[in-house]
Amino acid sequence: MKIVVIGGSGLIGTKVVNQLRQKGHEVIAASPATGINTITGEGLAEAMKDTDIVIDLANSPSFEDKAVLEFFQTSGRNLLAAEINAGVKHHVALSIVGVDIMQNVGYMRAKKAQEDLIRQSGVPYTIIRSTQFLEFLKGIADQATQGSEVHLSDVAFQPIASDDVASFVAKYALAAPINGKVEIAGPERFEMYEIVARYLQHSNDPRKVVANGRPEYFGGEISHAALVPAGGAALGAISFEKWWDKQLQKA
Amino acid sequence: MQKAKNGNPDLPVSSKITPELERKVLLELGNDITRVRDKNDLILLFSKRIKGLFYFTHTLVALIDYKDETYAPILLDDQSPIRLHAKYKELVQSRFSLNEPFIQSVLQADDPISFLLEDIMYQPQSPAFLRLNYEGGIREILMTRLMKDGKPMGFLNIYSDIPGSFNDGFRNIIKGIAPQLSSAISNIIKNEELLKKEKEKSFLLDFSSDIALVRTKDELALAVRTAISKLNQKSGYVIRRINEDNTTMSPYVYDLGIHQHDQKIVSALEKARYPINDGLQNRILNSPIPLLFTVDREIQRGITSAYLQSWKMMGFKDVVGIRLRNGETNHGILFLNIEEINVQLLQGICSQISIALANIMANEQISKKQEEQAFLLDFSNDITQVRTKQDLQAAISRVLDKTMHTRLVMIRVIDDDGLHLSPFMYDNTLFKKAKIDFDKMAVERITINEPYTAQVLTSKDGLLFNVEEELKSGNTYAQLWKITGLRNMYGLPLRAGDKNIGTIWLLADQLSQLLLKGICAQIAVAIANIQANEKLLTYKKQLEVENDYLKEQIKTIYNFSEIIGGGDAMQKVYRLMSLVADSNTTVLVLGETGTGKELIARAIHNASSRKDKLMVKVNCAALPANLIESELFGHERGAFTGAIDRRIGKFELADHSTLFLDEIGELPLEAQAKLLRVIQERELERVGGKQIIKINVRLIAATNRNLEDEVKAGRFRADLYFRLNVFPIGLPPLRDRAEDIEPLTHFFVQKYSRNTGRKIRKVAPKVIQQLRSYTWPGNIRELEHLIERSILMTTSEVLDDVYIPQHTDAEKQEQAHLLNRSLEEVERSHIIETLKRCAGKISGAGSAAEILKVPGNTLHSKMKKLSISKSDYFG
Repeated sequence: MKIVVIGGSGLIGTKVVNQLRQKGHEVIAASPATGINTITGEGLAEAMKDTDIVIDLANSPSFEDKAVLEFFQTSGRNLLAAEINAGVKHHVALSIVGVDIMQNVGYMRAKKAQEDLIRQSGVPYTIIRSTQFLEFLKGIADQATQGSEVHLSDVAFQPIASDDVASFVAKYALAAPINGKVEIAGPERFEMYEIVARYLQHSNDPRKVVANGRPEYFGGEISHAALVPAGGAALGAISFEKWWDKQLQKA
Repeated sequence: MQKAKNGNPDLPVSSKITPELERKVLLELGNDITRVRDKNDLILLFSKRIKGLFYFTHTLVALIDYKDETYAPILLDDQSPIRLHAKYKELVQSRFSLNEPFIQSVLQADDPISFLLEDIMYQPQSPAFLRLNYEGGIREILMTRLMKDGKPMGFLNIYSDIPGSFNDGFRNIIKGIAPQLSSAISNIIKNEELLKKEKEKSFLLDFSSDIALVRTKDELALAVRTAISKLNQKSGYVIRRINEDNTTMSPYVYDLGIHQHDQKIVSALEKARYPINDGLQNRILNSPIPLLFTVDREIQRGITSAYLQSWKMMGFKDVVGIRLRNGETNHGILFLNIEEINVQLLQGICSQISIALANIMANEQISKKQEEQAFLLDFSNDITQVRTKQDLQAAISRVLDKTMHTRLVMIRVIDDDGLHLSPFMYDNTLFKKAKIDFDKMAVERITINEPYTAQVLTSKDGLLFNVEEELKSGNTYAQLWKITGLRNMYGLPLRAGDKNIGTIWLLADQLSQLLLKGICAQIAVAIANIQANEKLLTYKKQLEVENDYLKEQIKTIYNFSEIIGGGDAMQKVYRLMSLVADSNTTVLVLGETGTGKELIARAIHNASSRKDKLMVKVNCAALPANLIESELFGHERGAFTGAIDRRIGKFELADHSTLFLDEIGELPLEAQAKLLRVIQERELERVGGKQIIKINVRLIAATNRNLEDEVKAGRFRADLYFRLNVFPIGLPPLRDRAEDIEPLTHFFVQKYSRNTGRKIRKVAPKVIQQLRSYTWPGNIRELEHLIERSILMTTSEVLDDVYIPQHTDAEKQEQAHLLNRSLEEVERSHIIETLKRCAGKISGAGSAAEILKVPGNTLHSKMKKLSISKSDYFG
């Protein structure tokens, strides 16, 4: 089958592309660098020709509220329009667990807008809502650092390894469209500060994690259970420790 | 996998190479390569240089595409032994996967690596070109990675039909040249990209300057055509524009390319209005990027728009749709029949077309506005020359029918009462098909509270009634409107200043607001002017008529400002007059000729509440029979031959006043019937008119005839008689009021002596006596004229002689006159009469003597005595 992966050169994208290629599919890793741009439409129609499955893993280059909304809307519209014209049979998109209950956060509003466009498009689709990636732990620690302390919330947190995410994406992409959403998450649930503390410990980082008890994520106030799946989610196989070992191996 | 053995001593070209030669070759090749700008030159040059040193058959360069992890040839050497192979074309356009052991081993090798084809070509994932080359006689291949930024960017493939061609020297040379080749290739690719970009830019620039000159639709079509033919010879295009209704689109300009098409399909496409939300057009309008779609697939998808079927029939398969948008407004769509899209180029073109389209539309709007304004100016000119309703009608119909394709249905004007609306003008040909009498319908007066009229009058700029919608909502007028086939009814208020003066109703498909407002304002002013004009004319006419009456009155009646007479008979008359004057009761004044009937009528009028207005007098005896009607009731213009103007009748003239019908007994029977109706209904219609006019008139009729006798004789309608004879006042003849003769005489003497400038101080008692003994068949009028004559005849200051009429034939008829004669006179005239009858025979049979029963001699002597001569009875 011909599969186009939008954002095919990103963290998840490269993994998904590799997995699908190994399965023998014709995969196009689409990104502005490879001449396919969902914002300008450049190369889009050609790439879509005879394509069966489109996996949208693109992310906004800017995270400012307005820019991110504009990115997901324009990109989503262009992509879906081209898919309709080309008769694409399955559109897969990666979204975020709890996206609809965190609408006070600009990024979540943008992702929700993207989901809505997909639902309204008429293209058969699967929306995969994932929890945060284990790869984000460092970034979460950095943005919460005040001097030598890391002030973090105690919201429930169930991060997933990007390898697991890629496997799920590849799996759902090759399955029949469910015209709805599925949720995926890591195998273990923590409180946010706890897992970050463990990460810093493992990486011999001297910063000290302080639980501030405030329910927030990237500056927006959220509920304690917003970031974790509410019902049955598909769980990844890679635990934190396993993931950590793999990171060491790569290094 | 087995690598080929290095070196073969049987090669046609010496493969032994010294380091100096190698350096020299590298240097020369390097110099050459830096000069190359074209990619085919590159491979040829490379081939030529190397072939001088080493043996091989041909070479090519392939590039890696990381997007889908494939590689494909880009530079081909024309020496390929398989270039005539059936699959060659397909081969050079193929993409080969990087995911197979052959190419992976090349990628992992730092140095050029050679393969014997038979070793690798049968491996399941090996690329097809290996086998094809083998079939073409090739036996060995030397593969070299071309690196860029530390990453493989492609391969240099060198082929040979002799195994073992690639010795170490060859490999070293190739390894040494590979980096230069890589940078040359990437430079060439960059260069080509730049050239292409530049070409696009200059193309857009050209297009931009073409488009900048576009002012009309045709120029736009030409500019787009030129641009598209520069890009692609064959493609057709159409620009659709969003229609004014904002729900449909229609073709604006198009070109179907070089193909011939069925004219029927084309003209059907051209005329249609396609709904925007058809599943395709809206998709394009909502898409920020050009959409490439396949006609067949859209049809399969279930989009039923007719144009897709037509396109299919015309052979258009792949079409790009791009919205034409200016700022946030969509103007239309450009459809292009092409298979490949260059997004940036198309967007560049479309943004320019959008601007041009917006400009043209703005231009069209402006020129339309200008036309409208010019048109209004002309209309304004026409209107300023309008003085009458007919002129206006002509001006309006010229404007509406001929220029605007609009039908004037009706103009209604608010009456003076501020409540009713009368038709001012209307088009009675409009509803001919409906077989209804629009005349009759139009004449009905409506009030300002009639629902549609009220809506229009209270609206600011008038209302639009969609005929279809009105039909649905049960508007009965709408059925009539529908007959005309026009879509909308426009109802607008006509206003002069802030005041509503009427309504105008127009049927049309589409009218511009500006035009409507302009026209209505002008029509309103024109109507207000005409109305003022008409009013002025009416007043003028009325004043003229009144003036005539006044002059007449001054001449004849004014001087009778007093009624003279204190006798019993007159006292009775006065009493009756005072009883009836204040009421509106019809009065019938009876009396012999000259008894002063008109004076009495005028006195009644002057004593009534209507005295401020002029009493109107009609002398029924003085009117030609066939003009009586128009005289009494007025007539419309064109009512009959010679009726060149509208004329107000006496009844209308006497509205709110008194109408004095003198000599009513002389009225012909036909006119009596009409008169009766007016008296009964208190309303009338002008001759030839359709409008009913209410009147408030007090009637005073007078006659010297005995109406009862006239009724009996059938000369006077009994019903009219009874209507008139409500309050009869009989005037006594002068002979019955001898006591009033003296004061009357003094009155007339004074009047005429003043008029003639004579000073008559006294009337002789003898004269008074004479006047009193006369029977006055002409009553007061006779007395007045007698005095007038006598004064003229008098020479002294004393009126001592009056010329009472004596013997005239005419007087003989009068009973009253006979009584005045002496016995002698009676005898004399009787004898003369008899003699005349007997033809002058005095005696004998059949003679006068025989008739008079006197002897002949007695008659002779009597004739002598009375001095009757022959001339008396033969005259």
